[in-house]
Amino acid sequence: MLTRKPTYRLLLGFLLLLLPFMARAEKWTTETLPMVHLQDARRFVCNPDGVLAPATVAHNDSLLQRLLADKGVETVVVVVKQLKGDDPYEFGMALARKYGIGSKKQNSGLILILATEDRSYQILTGTGLEGTLPDAICSRIERRVMVPLLKKEQWDEAITATLGSIDGYIRKDPSLMAEVDEAEDPMDALIGLGLTVFFGFLFIGMLVLFTHNSKCPRCKQACLQTVKSQRIRLQGSQKWYIASTLRCPRCGFEKVDTKEEDNGLNGGGIPPIIIGGGRGGSFGGGSFGGSFGGGMFGGGGAGGRF
Amino acid sequence: MSKKSITLIVIAAIVVLLGGYGCSSYNGMVQKDEAAATAWSNLQSQYQRRADLIPNLVNTVKGYAKHESETLENVVAARAKATQLTVDANDLTPEKMKQLQAAQGELSQALGRLLMLTENYPDLKANENFRDLQAQLEGTENRINESRRLYNESVKTYNVGIRTFPANIMAGMFGFEKRPAFEAEAGAEKAPSVEF
Repeated sequence: MLTRKPTYRLLLGFLLLLLPFMARAEKWTTETLPMVHLQDARRFVCNPDGVLAPATVAHNDSLLQRLLADKGVETVVVVVKQLKGDDPYEFGMALARKYGIGSKKQNSGLILILATEDRSYQILTGTGLEGTLPDAICSRIERRVMVPLLKKEQWDEAITATLGSIDGYIRKDPSLMAEVDEAEDPMDALIGLGLTVFFGFLFIGMLVLFTHNSKCPRCKQACLQTVKSQRIRLQGSQKWYIASTLRCPRCGFEKVDTKEEDNGLNGGGIPPIIIGGGRGGSFGGGSFGGSFGGGMFGGGGAGGRF
Repeated sequence: MSKKSITLIVIAAIVVLLGGYGCSSYNGMVQKDEAAATAWSNLQSQYQRRADLIPNLVNTVKGYAKHESETLENVVAARAKATQLTVDANDLTPEKMKQLQAAQGELSQALGRLLMLTENYPDLKANENFRDLQAQLEGTENRINESRRLYNESVKTYNVGIRTFPANIMAGMFGFEKRPAFEAEAGAEKAPSVEF
């Protein structure tokens, strides 16, 4: 019974203050959950609610990056407050289906889900990882490592310890190998060829355009022709320039044209071709977006509530 | 070129085109058929996996819960019934499918009752061996569901493939028949309805 009005008002005010925080506790779906790996190939831990400390995320990202590089196991860690539907298994499977986590050849995808307010957790193994991490092992890791820490609400420690333990099991399995970049799909090669031809024609077309459009300024009769083209870098500049020597075939007038290199199109070579469908993320040093390999999950793993 | 030879060339071109279409359509149907058969055998191996786990589970539970012999016997009987029924992918009929679904559903229910009952035995729940088995069993149930979903998906692709025009003419010629898909589990019908 609320007999004292000021208390009631205070309570209301407090609740109003809390409102923005409560609104932020989103019930995540596979559609709304941002996949950090797609934006940055070096990241694997999705922590949209900020449950984990940044240091924990960074530590585990680097652990999982090494695991991918050494053993070809592609991991996605999802730590949120709540999941829509409150079913971490279904959520994980939907995530696996949507993104195809793990390589297509080894099917070595791994998903770890923790929903702190739902108080649920789940490990899911790709079909190729079921031998390395059988359900019983997943369950043991959860029982012995994860759940005791989860019960104490030590989310950072729980995730780090669990991933450390999983990492140990995976590294003990000699049958898992790092992914080697194999020959591209024939379709990719075809697309590549098409692009090469396209850009080749574009290059020739531009060359023709370039040489035919500049009339000789002295005799104004013939067109200047490119006789020499060089790729140079001006002192103190980071950019590449193309220095072309143009000569009039009629009167012999010569001039040098310098212009900034345009995406390598005028560089005299075949432009770099970007072929899609990269495998398992790229580690170019920069923050390139990653990709998933298209692995299968058959429902292996273990989960529970704490 | 005379008119006659032009006609001949046109007829030859049509024959080649039709032949090419027929071959590719036939091969496509064979591929889809095989995919469905593979999905079926995957599902069967998951059912087998569950059946293989049961003796171990029953023995473990027996050690702790001697008085629950009826529930345990039910599980053993349901397992025996389910393992007897194995259907090859190529002679699947809707009736056989129903039988199999009923037998496996019965086993699922018996297992569910057994696992419910184990909640009453804290010693059993603390047994590592039992908990490993339970995790394996849960994982296998998940795998069964996933395999069923994949089977239904491949059957749908196949059925649509053989029933759409003009592929259905080819399918009729070569005897490709519609494959049965799983319907919702018997228990699902009893799901509580929401009333306002």
